[in-house]
Amino acid sequence: MKRKSDRMPSKSAAQGESNSRAGMRGSARLSYHIKVGWREPTAIIGALMVVLFAYLVIVPIVTLLHDAVEVQFGDARRAKAEVGAWTLYYLNRTLASPIAQVLFWEPLAHTLSVAAGVMLVSLSLGVPLAWLLSRSDMFGRRWFATALIVPYMLPSWTFALVWRTLFRNRTVGGQQGWLESLGFTPPDWLAYGQVPITIILALHYTPFVILLFGNALRSFDSQLEESARILGAKSGTVAVQIIFPLMLPALLSATILIFAKCIGEFGVNYILGLPVDYNVLATSLYRSISSRQSGVAAVLAGAIMLIGIISLLVDARLVRESRRFVTVGGKGAMSRKSPLGIYRLPATVFAALIFLISVGFPLLVLVLSTIMKVPADFSLDNFTLDYWIGRNLETVALRTGILLTPDLWMAAWNTLRIVGFASLCSGLLGLLVGYVVVRSRVRWISSFLRHVTFFPYLVPGIAFAVAYLSLFAVQRGPIPALYGTGLILVLALTADQMPYSSRAGISAMMQLGKDPEEAAQMTGAGWLRRMTSVVLPIQKGALVTGTLLPFISGIKGLSLFVVLAVPTTDVLTTYSLRLIDNNYTQAANAVVLIIAAMAYFGTLAVQNVTKTNLADGLGG
Amino acid sequence: MPTITLSHVSKSYDSQAPAISDLDLVVQDGEFMCLLGPSGCGKSTTLRVIAGLENLSAGEIMIGGRVLDSRDQGIFVPPEQRGAGLVFQSYALWPHLTVERNVSFGLRLRKVPADERDARAGFVMATLDIEQFRDRYPSQLSGGQQQRVALARMLVIEPDVLLLDEPLSNLDSRLRLKMRAELKRIHGEFGTTIVFVTHDQWEAMTLSTRIAVMNEGSLQQVGTPDEIYNSPANLFVAEFVGNPPINMVPVTIGQDTDLSLTLGEYVTRSFPKIDNVGSVGLRPETIRLTVREPPGNPHCLTSHARVAGILPTGGNWIVELDNGGAPLFVSTNISPEFNVGEMLYFQVDQSRMHLFDLDGIRISYENG
Repeated sequence: MKRKSDRMPSKSAAQGESNSRAGMRGSARLSYHIKVGWREPTAIIGALMVVLFAYLVIVPIVTLLHDAVEVQFGDARRAKAEVGAWTLYYLNRTLASPIAQVLFWEPLAHTLSVAAGVMLVSLSLGVPLAWLLSRSDMFGRRWFATALIVPYMLPSWTFALVWRTLFRNRTVGGQQGWLESLGFTPPDWLAYGQVPITIILALHYTPFVILLFGNALRSFDSQLEESARILGAKSGTVAVQIIFPLMLPALLSATILIFAKCIGEFGVNYILGLPVDYNVLATSLYRSISSRQSGVAAVLAGAIMLIGIISLLVDARLVRESRRFVTVGGKGAMSRKSPLGIYRLPATVFAALIFLISVGFPLLVLVLSTIMKVPADFSLDNFTLDYWIGRNLETVALRTGILLTPDLWMAAWNTLRIVGFASLCSGLLGLLVGYVVVRSRVRWISSFLRHVTFFPYLVPGIAFAVAYLSLFAVQRGPIPALYGTGLILVLALTADQMPYSSRAGISAMMQLGKDPEEAAQMTGAGWLRRMTSVVLPIQKGALVTGTLLPFISGIKGLSLFVVLAVPTTDVLTTYSLRLIDNNYTQAANAVVLIIAAMAYFGTLAVQNVTKTNLADGLGG
Repeated sequence: MPTITLSHVSKSYDSQAPAISDLDLVVQDGEFMCLLGPSGCGKSTTLRVIAGLENLSAGEIMIGGRVLDSRDQGIFVPPEQRGAGLVFQSYALWPHLTVERNVSFGLRLRKVPADERDARAGFVMATLDIEQFRDRYPSQLSGGQQQRVALARMLVIEPDVLLLDEPLSNLDSRLRLKMRAELKRIHGEFGTTIVFVTHDQWEAMTLSTRIAVMNEGSLQQVGTPDEIYNSPANLFVAEFVGNPPINMVPVTIGQDTDLSLTLGEYVTRSFPKIDNVGSVGLRPETIRLTVREPPGNPHCLTSHARVAGILPTGGNWIVELDNGGAPLFVSTNISPEFNVGEMLYFQVDQSRMHLFDLDGIRISYENG
């Protein structure tokens, strides 16, 4: 009892004290919060990046969508409203007016039917090839594994140029196609439009199936298959009941990613669709921009974006649904090669044939086309290096060989400068995003960054470019009009590459984990010291990859540049497109060869530097 | 001096159940304290909040009288200013630096003059027997060598407090034994306060001056290895510590296996003042087996059961007795002279019985 009475006063005193301190405690809490969450630059860097990416990703898209419902300059009379007022004019014009058929519905139908055709063809080629490469004893599997991926390393419209070189007919001017000069005039349906576009895109995306499906097959545990065999199942039953269901996620994934990529595809459609007025959404969008109908362009870009987002959401959904029953084999995963028996040779011939059609022959044609005066004439005096290194040629313009043209070197320098700088930015930013995502103590920052950097993946390049155009075409606040500068290209390209570089950065940082940095912290190292002595040196390799991979995909990219580049910021891709427009076929082909070579050898270099295989780097 | 004081310490992540809740623990200067518990019990989190790698949700941490983390006072001292060293379970050696560079990192950071730095790093590397690897990279070392580099890296900065997060769990058993001896020697030599996290009771027993047993984020018992083993504070500690594990026999009504009844009867008779016994724990090695009926003894429980299995463990045998309920395990170092299926007598001293009440709390009957 005595004890208790002793304690009472002190307790109530403590209570009084705590009441009088209620206000102080609040400020103590706040200072604690600041000390824990914001004491290190991580949080500040994170906050800065939130602002940066909000501006580089979210603002352009919002501006674009806004453009679709606001009266644009010069449209006041037609829209019957003031410039800047809300309007449904563009939506109406694009979707429901008499010209909607030409502007939107027909291109949409074309886009979808091309995409469907591409999916069908590339799956039917890619699936058997993937199986042959990863699970059979076909001859030269290792060689084919690299060789068959080559189309994916080259710009897709390389093959469009080849097609044009071979099948061009009198519908368009300029140099004759090879077939034409051999006396056979290809009909329009074969020379231009849906058929060649589908074939070319299918060949370009087949490696995609080989990579994704092949990877899934390789990680497939043969013991699952063997257990079924032991239970007495025939190989057909095994294929249908065991392998196919388990491979479904990978297949669906590959299919839908191909679909999404086709939606935004511009170059091939432009080169092969234009002569016969075969429009897809991307080219219709490009036309609207060229004719300065930015409101309609915004609606079209929004539509492309929407299709892209929907298809990737569907992908995420399907993959999640079909993955619920997938068991990961863990240690037991081993892959056994099926002997092909008498089909071993035919299978190899099949792979070789695909290689020839998709890589060997096109490249050969491309090379030959740049050193032959008259198409398809193989006599010795028809060969010339004039298109490469000639001087004082008898042409109206471009009177020197391509290698002696200053424009080429300017375009090459621009490519290096713009793409190089953008890749460096996205590589560094990717690593920083990774760092902040892994290390930030402020949760919403990391989850915001994770999502916002991935978002450009859902938006096809050409729609993204239009968004940038609409944001940076005029001065907005302190930011001057950037259209026509290299900076707008750098910004757009950086943002466009962020999905890949941030994913690479996040996974590199995840793999590194917190331990090495925390160990440095325990020995007393402050933030700056930890970054410079521990984190960055360890992540050197990741930084190199994170820069080189965007660089390679950047130099062969077309859709961003075609919208945002002007003649002074011409890069190699837009330069070659300009040459095509002017019917300098040989020169255009030469430039494309240069790009292809850069992309191919760059990829090999990355592979050698990082000792990784292509499948990891290009699978995105 | 660096006494570590944790008062009412809690840590929870997001909205999940707290990783540690309301933990009170004092680690005295120069002590070798083991935090022991199953995985996920919050022992690593405890270590990380002491190190400052995590901040507290509530409570206060002091080292040597200095408040390091207190939400109420608005104080949070970052890890690099706490003067504690932490050896990670993964070692976390920096792969791009040589052994020597790894070890001297902290000294370079403090701008210790080169000759002194070399001397100190050299001394620690010599003590830990890694001097011959000084120019190698971590990837060229074996697990045990890496572990010693990780230890050297922290020892060289002479931390007030050394925190070890399961540093031996990645080593093979022979190396473990060696490193245990080494750790004990280092503790003697450097006189540092050590907090050591492990889920291996054997490790905790052999190394520590005191053990703190944790479960589900809260402290179960703190005591010397002897106290933990011989007077476990509750059912969890009794069952977690000891291998083979203690035989826990429920003696509440309704538990009517032979052994439960016999034991219940015995306890009621021998401890007349205690009326709330829920279960009785019998350590396997405190049970004596005899083939013939032993002479009666009032301070001993004597009963019989059938042999259900004999499991040799190399030098020792675990004998499984069938008493109609859960099996009773006995460990013995005398080669068994009986076969499976035979009837045996077994005996346990009253003083070796662990009594727990209905809530699983130890009943200390010396006072009761």
